Amino acid sequence: MKLQTISRTSYLTLVYLFFYIPIAVLICYSFNNTQYSLVWQGFTWDWYVELFHDSDLWISALHSLILGLSAATLATAIGMLAAVTIYRYRFRGRGFLYGLIFILILSPEIVMGAALLILFTLLRFPLGFITLLLSHTTFCIPFVIVTTYGRLVSFDKNIFEAAKDLGATDGVIFKKIILPMLWPALAAGWLMSFTLSLDDVIISYFVAGPEFDILPLRIYSMVRAGVKPEINALCSVLIFVTLTLILLSQTALRKKS
Amino acid sequence: MKVENKFKTFSLAATWAWMFFFALLPFALVLTASFLSHSDTQLLELPLTLNNYRNLNHGIYLRIFENSIIIASTSTLICLIIGYPFAYIITRLNGYLKSLCLMLIIIPFWTSSLIRSYALIAIIKGKGVLNTVLIALGIIHDPLPLLFTNTAVIIGLVYNLLPFMILPIMTNIERLDHRLVDAARDLGANRFTTFRRVIIPLSMPGIIAGCILVFLPAMTLFYISDILGGAKSILAGNLIQNKFLIAENWPMGAALSIVLTLMLIGMILIYLWASRGNKSGEWL
Amino acid sequence: MRFSSFFLLGIAMMFPAFASAQERIVNVYTWAGEISDDLIKQFEKQTGIKVNYSTYQSNEVMFAKLRAGSSGSYDVIMPSSYFVERMNKADMLAEIDKSKLSNWKNISAEFTNPAYDPEAKHSVPFIWGVTGIFVNDKYYNPATIRKWPNLWEARFYNQLLMLDDTREIFSMALISLGYSSNDSNPEHITQAFDKLKKLMKNVKVFSTETVISILIDEDAKVGMCWNGDAYKASRENKNIKFIFPDDGFVIWVDNLAIPKLARHKDEAYEFINFMISAESGKTTTMKMNYPVTNGAAIKLLPPEMRNNPIIYPDKSVLKRGQFPRDLGEKTLDVYEKFWEVLKMSG
Repeated sequence: MKLQTISRTSYLTLVYLFFYIPIAVLICYSFNNTQYSLVWQGFTWDWYVELFHDSDLWISALHSLILGLSAATLATAIGMLAAVTIYRYRFRGRGFLYGLIFILILSPEIVMGAALLILFTLLRFPLGFITLLLSHTTFCIPFVIVTTYGRLVSFDKNIFEAAKDLGATDGVIFKKIILPMLWPALAAGWLMSFTLSLDDVIISYFVAGPEFDILPLRIYSMVRAGVKPEINALCSVLIFVTLTLILLSQTALRKKS
Repeated sequence: MKVENKFKTFSLAATWAWMFFFALLPFALVLTASFLSHSDTQLLELPLTLNNYRNLNHGIYLRIFENSIIIASTSTLICLIIGYPFAYIITRLNGYLKSLCLMLIIIPFWTSSLIRSYALIAIIKGKGVLNTVLIALGIIHDPLPLLFTNTAVIIGLVYNLLPFMILPIMTNIERLDHRLVDAARDLGANRFTTFRRVIIPLSMPGIIAGCILVFLPAMTLFYISDILGGAKSILAGNLIQNKFLIAENWPMGAALSIVLTLMLIGMILIYLWASRGNKSGEWL
Repeated sequence: MRFSSFFLLGIAMMFPAFASAQERIVNVYTWAGEISDDLIKQFEKQTGIKVNYSTYQSNEVMFAKLRAGSSGSYDVIMPSSYFVERMNKADMLAEIDKSKLSNWKNISAEFTNPAYDPEAKHSVPFIWGVTGIFVNDKYYNPATIRKWPNLWEARFYNQLLMLDDTREIFSMALISLGYSSNDSNPEHITQAFDKLKKLMKNVKVFSTETVISILIDEDAKVGMCWNGDAYKASRENKNIKFIFPDDGFVIWVDNLAIPKLARHKDEAYEFINFMISAESGKTTTMKMNYPVTNGAAIKLLPPEMRNNPIIYPDKSVLKRGQFPRDLGEKTLDVYEKFWEVLKMSG
C-alpha cells in the first residue's frame, strides 16, 4: 500500500509541476527589468506600480469577472435543462436536437464568432455586454451538457419509476432527485464554463462592443504594444488572490465538518 | 396530465428556444454563406455558387487537414495518457483533498492562455529556463531547438487542453460502481486485468467526452500554432481564421467550416458504428 | 424558482451596460501599440470627453468588423494607406474637414498629398514606418546584407524571421525581382511565388507580433521587420542593426480616419486634432518608439532620437521607398492561394 501511495503522490506532483512551472515563470517575469525581452534582466517592482495606476485594466478585469459569472451560471442552468430533457424524454426532433448540440461543440470559435456577429447585425442589436453574454453562454452550454449527460447516464432509472408511482411530478423529481445527484457534474460544468469565458478571445473579438472592454481583449492589444510584464503582474495578482480565497474557503469548510 | 408536464414543457421550450437562436440560426447562416460569393465591397452577396466547395478540391487543403489531424490526435493521445491516471488518482481521494486538487488544476486557467503560452515560450526558447538549467547541469551543450517546431505546438496544446480531458473523466469515474471492480477481483482477476476489462470500458463515456473536448479545440486553436510554432504551417484553425479575417473570403471560410464539421461528425459516427457491439458505453 | 433568480441576476447585471452616458464620448479603434495611454488620459482630462479605446492587430480585422455592420460603433479608426484607398472605394470614410483641425499644419509636407488618398481628403497621416532587414551584428556583418536577394543565401538556413503578412512577403519578393511592390500582373506574381518557394527553407519563424522579443533574445538573428520594432529592440540589445535595402522597400503610413456612419463626429475631430498637436506627436514617438508624420513634433525631439538613422533616416534613403496601394480582391485572392501553398511547403 505504501508503494502505491508514494507512486500516486509522485505522479500527482509531477503533473502539478507541469501545470505550475509556467505559472511560476510568469510570476517571476513580472519582476523582470525589461519591457520586451523574455530573458531575465534584473529585479524591479516597476510593473506592479504601473499596474496599480492602470485603472482601465482593473475595470476590464472586473468586466470579465462579471461576464464569466453570469455566462457560467446561465450556461449551467440551460445546459442542465437540455441534458435532462434529452435524457428523460422521448420527443419529436430529439435526434435533431442531438445534431444541434453536436454542431455547437464542433463549430470552430472563429465560425461561431462570425456567425453570431452576422446574427446580431441582422437583428440590429448593438454590440456590448448582452451580445457577449449570449455568445459566451452559447459556447459554454455544450460543455455543461457533455459533463452532465455523462453523469445522468449512470443513474438507475428505477428510481424515477418509483418516484412517479409515489405520485411525484416531474418538477419534484427534478428538484429532489436529479439535482442533488447531478451536483458534481454541474459544478464541473460551471467551472469549465467560467474558465472558458474568462479566457475567450476569438468569439469575444467578434461580438464585443467599444463600451464593455474585457480582459482577454485588452491583454491581446497590450501584448502587441509590448507592455507584457505589466500583464504578468496582473496575472500574478489574480493568481495570488484566487489561491488565497480557495485556501481560505477550504479551511473554513474543513472547520465546519 | 397538464400539471405533471409543466416541467417538461418548460425545459423543452427553454432548450429549443436557445438552441434555435444560437445554434441553428448561426449554423444556417454559415451554411448559406458557404454558397454565396463575395466582392470588394460586400462580404457576402449573391449569386449562389458551388465554387467555394469546388475550390476546396485542391491538394493543399487535404494536406492542411491531414497535418491538423496528426497534431490534434497526438495532443489528444498525450492528454489521455497523462490525464487518465491523474483523474483516477484524484477521484479516489477523500472529499476535501479531492476538491482542493481539482481547484488547483483549474486556477492556472483563470489566467490568460495567451500569457501562459508566452510563459511556455520563455521556458523552451534558446535562452529560456529549460535550456539554461540543462546546460548548467551539463546534460546538454547546445540549446534544444524546441521553439518554432511542431513539438512546441503540441506542448502548448497539451498544456492548454489537459483539464478538458481530466474533468469529464473525473465525473465519470466518480460514479463507477466499485462493486463491479470488487467482484472482478473476487473472481480472481489481477489488477491489470481488472483495469483493462472492467474499469476502462466502464469509463469509456468519460474518455470519449474528454477526447472530443480536446481534439476539437486542438484543430482550431490558431494562436498556439502561431506563437509557439512560428506560424510555419497552417492548421485547420489558422486556415479558417485566415479566410475570415485576412483574406476576407467569408464564403470560403464558411465552406471550410462546414467541411471541417462534417468531417468531425463523420469520425464520431464511425467510432459509434465501430463500438455498437459494446453496450457498456451508452454515450449519446 | 432557481432559474428566475438566475435570470433576474443576469438582468440586474445588464443595467451598468444600459446606463447611457449624458457625458460626451468618443469610440476609438486603432492599431495596438500606436496610441499612448498617457495621451488618452491627457485628452480626457483636457476635454472631458470619455474615450472608449480598443485595438486591433491587422487592417483586415478592422475592415471585416466594420463591414459586418458595426461601422456606426466607432468614431476614430486607423487604416493603413492601402486600406484608406480600399475603404474609400467602398465609400466607408467621411470626408475630413481640415478647417476643423487646427493642428493639420503640423503634418510634414511629404505626407499631405498621398497617392492613395489625393489631398488626404479622408485621412490624417499619423505614424509611418518602413519594412526592411534587421541583422544581429554579433553573428553577421551588416555590410554583407544590402538587398532583399541576400536573404536567400544558404548561410541563413533556418535563421530568418519573416513578417507573417502576405502582402509584406510578396512585396519584398516582387521588389527583389525588380518589380513594383504593387505589381498585379499575374505572371510577375507567379514569378515571385516561385522565388519565395526557395526562401522557405531559410525561414525559422513567421511573426508580426512577437518580433521585438525574438530580436532581443536572439531567437532569430536576421530577417525582415519594421524599423520601429528594430529600434525598440536595439535599445535593449545593442547588436541589432537595421538596413534599408538598396533595391527598395515598402513605406507604410497609418492614418487616423472617421467612418462615414460615426455617431460622435465632433468628438472625433477633437481627438484627432489633439493627437496631431506637436506635443502629442512628441509623446507618441518617445513613448511608442515609432516615427511620426508630425513635422512640428519631430522638431521637439531630443537630437539622439531626431537623428536616429533607424527611425528617422535621411530623406535620400526614403526616396527608395514605395507606398503600398490597394490591389483589389482578385489579386489578393491570388496572393492568398500562393500563401497557403508556401506555408505548407516547409
